[in-house]
Amino acid sequence: MVEKIKAELKATFADLAIAEESYPQSGYHLSVDLTAKDILNVARFFDGRGFYLAVELCVDYKDYLEIVYIFSIHSSLCKVKATLKLDPVQPVAPTLSGIFDCAYWYEREIREFYGVLFDGHPNMTYLFLHEGIDFYPLRKDRVPVSEQDKQELNSYSPEQREDSLSINMGPQHPSTHGVLRVVLRMDGEYIEDASPVLGYLHRMQEKMAENRTYQQFLPNTGRMDYLGAMSFNLGYVTAVERLTGIDVPARAHYVRVIATELNRISSHLLWVGAYLADLGGLSPFLYVFDDREHILDVLEAVTGSRLTYCYFRFGGLYNDVDDAFVLGTKAFVARMRGRFSLYEKLVGGNVIFINRTRGIGVIAKERARKYAVSGPVLRGAGIGMDLRKAEPYAAYPEMDFEVPTGKNGDALDMYHVRVKEMETSLDIIDQALALLADGPFMVEKAPKKLKPRKGDLYHVVETPRGELGIYIVSDESDKPYRMKWRVPSFSNLMAFPELAKGNLLSDAVAILGSLDLVIPEIDR
Amino acid sequence: MEQILDLEIVKLVIGLLAAFVFVVFNALILTWAERKVAGHMQLRIGPKEVGPYGLIQPLADALKLLGKEIITPRNVDKPLFYLGPILIFIPVLVAFVVIPFDSFLQVKDINVGILVVLAFSSFTVLAILMAGWGSNNKYSLIGAIRSIAQSVAYEIPLLLSLLAVVMMAGSLSLKEVVEAQKGVWFVLLQPVAFVIYFISSVAETNRTPFDLPEAESELVAGYHTEYSGMMFALFFLAEYTNMFIVSAITVTFFLGGYQGPFLPGIVWFLLKSYLLVFVMMWFRWTFPRVRFDQLLNISWKVLIPLAFLNLLVTGGLLKL
Repeated sequence: MVEKIKAELKATFADLAIAEESYPQSGYHLSVDLTAKDILNVARFFDGRGFYLAVELCVDYKDYLEIVYIFSIHSSLCKVKATLKLDPVQPVAPTLSGIFDCAYWYEREIREFYGVLFDGHPNMTYLFLHEGIDFYPLRKDRVPVSEQDKQELNSYSPEQREDSLSINMGPQHPSTHGVLRVVLRMDGEYIEDASPVLGYLHRMQEKMAENRTYQQFLPNTGRMDYLGAMSFNLGYVTAVERLTGIDVPARAHYVRVIATELNRISSHLLWVGAYLADLGGLSPFLYVFDDREHILDVLEAVTGSRLTYCYFRFGGLYNDVDDAFVLGTKAFVARMRGRFSLYEKLVGGNVIFINRTRGIGVIAKERARKYAVSGPVLRGAGIGMDLRKAEPYAAYPEMDFEVPTGKNGDALDMYHVRVKEMETSLDIIDQALALLADGPFMVEKAPKKLKPRKGDLYHVVETPRGELGIYIVSDESDKPYRMKWRVPSFSNLMAFPELAKGNLLSDAVAILGSLDLVIPEIDR
Repeated sequence: MEQILDLEIVKLVIGLLAAFVFVVFNALILTWAERKVAGHMQLRIGPKEVGPYGLIQPLADALKLLGKEIITPRNVDKPLFYLGPILIFIPVLVAFVVIPFDSFLQVKDINVGILVVLAFSSFTVLAILMAGWGSNNKYSLIGAIRSIAQSVAYEIPLLLSLLAVVMMAGSLSLKEVVEAQKGVWFVLLQPVAFVIYFISSVAETNRTPFDLPEAESELVAGYHTEYSGMMFALFFLAEYTNMFIVSAITVTFFLGGYQGPFLPGIVWFLLKSYLLVFVMMWFRWTFPRVRFDQLLNISWKVLIPLAFLNLLVTGGLLKL
């Protein structure tokens, strides 16, 4: 695939600088240097071949700004990094939002963080920030926001019409699970337009990362996705280990997988409960909390925390697991296997539940690709891409598990995918427990001061909500030069306005729930 | 003294006072029961700290609500805003006048008893609309609109299913309907009407799975979003009383009313009524909520044609 794409790229764009990269080191196979006139054609080239835009980000190298596009494909392993150098004084780049819908928000983010203007972008206004910020926060030098830019950034207001009612769903609303705000324009009970407003929990984690050593930033990762903290921890430590070349002992790998999968089950369980609460059934919430409690107890005993874990270290684990952990996990697995039939009776087989979710929020494969949705939402749409299989990390290469997919891409499919994923997680835990042998849990001589290699890395892991991508640029110091978090809920939420349009208010709640959003992760 | 007690108006006043006491008492018991039922259905045990088995808990809650400030948001339509929760309470009291708790325990046996109950229960919608409109809140307004559409849709099958029973009993008086069930309860003769009536009554009282007017995951709290303190408690009180009333009507029309062996009539009546109330609670803690269009479809496309058919068959059989 990589060879084919390279050859085709060369054939189509003769004067393009294409270089082959070491995938194990950098996380992508090809890198392409673009000029502003090529970018749209190259994007169309990848779009035509079924690629999705995994992330679009910007790095400030002081002499120039660099826009980085990562193109990836669901059906095989081929990643291309395309870069576009911009003048730091008046940065202007063409927009990709007309080709890949997911670029719409990424470019707004770059606009407010770096001051890059995207030519042709329909809405260059604040996404996370507000008019009180008078400099571009991610620029290395202090670059003030001019009055004119401020006005432009602040000019957006959702369209209002005489004959429709506009409703603020959130930031304090029972079913936005946190502080998401969606401005709905309604015609009676029907939604004409939905526009999410982000930033109520924005903490500028990416800037924080630049000011801390790699170790110091580790606890922050669990605070982004508080429900899948273990996956975020794992993503971060594996990324940094890949960057610094630390090898992790086998035992640590297996424990990492077990802990992460337990955390994944607890996240999905919580989703089932919260989703049913969204649909008006309050009892399942308590049932899933009963199950979840067992996971939390097991994890608390080894990690010391119940929600925002910080258990993994660069080179291994914080501490070794004991027999109680193994026994507790086994007991939980045995218990959980018997619970699925209960959930099927209580939730999955309920006529009202089926009628509320069937055919609701249908996301077609093509639209899923354009929005770069990932995780259970993507698999619900029928694309069986799981990064634990596609780009295995930790001990996942040795694990044998199924990737459940849906058929119709509706909310009901997403429910079934998540429930089946819990079952596959149990299978993975079983296998990892069987493979767990005595040995060191931490690499000998773990370096006190990390020495990352110079260069960049795009590392992805599968969190309960989908593709978490961490893009790190290192300048060999013990602090990252730039760290970008490509979070799954961000792109999943982007699809929401399109899914909600024309539906009833109740359906909007069902759709929003089916995407399984965690707001602190979106806002970072 | 005897003369005074015999006066219609005095009887009515005493009856209403008794009804008021019963309403408050009923709400206290039902809030406790609902929390206990919810608890046990959700792997919890419910309230247990205040009093034995948490029995004093509703009293503590009521005291708390009384102590709360009644917040009046800016820009509300004050007359409507204040009248809403009070008006929602009136039809509830009136219904108690005609319900026969026992063969001798009835404030007034009106010969069009059921019409009085149904006419006044429609009044509830007006109160909800006043609350929803007067609150000047979009969620409240949508909740009120839903409530109206729902009530209009479900009052028809409600009436039609009762009509079938009325035809068989040959009277609109509640007492005579009960007396007509001396031999066989109407639930056996009119099972379809019973099911239609019970579903519709759950919808009439805005209980899950038909609790759309106050769907908290969509509309925050629907028409009573802006109410606080005792004003909110009045809506609460009305909901629980309505639950009891629709159950009492079901018992009267389908389950033989106060009739039953060994125990006194009133005990049978309350036993049957609270059993139905329990079923409604059971619904609430088991089912998710239906969607608005589905809700209307159930009524207009299923229940109403079925009720008409039932009426037709009943009429035909009676003629034979």
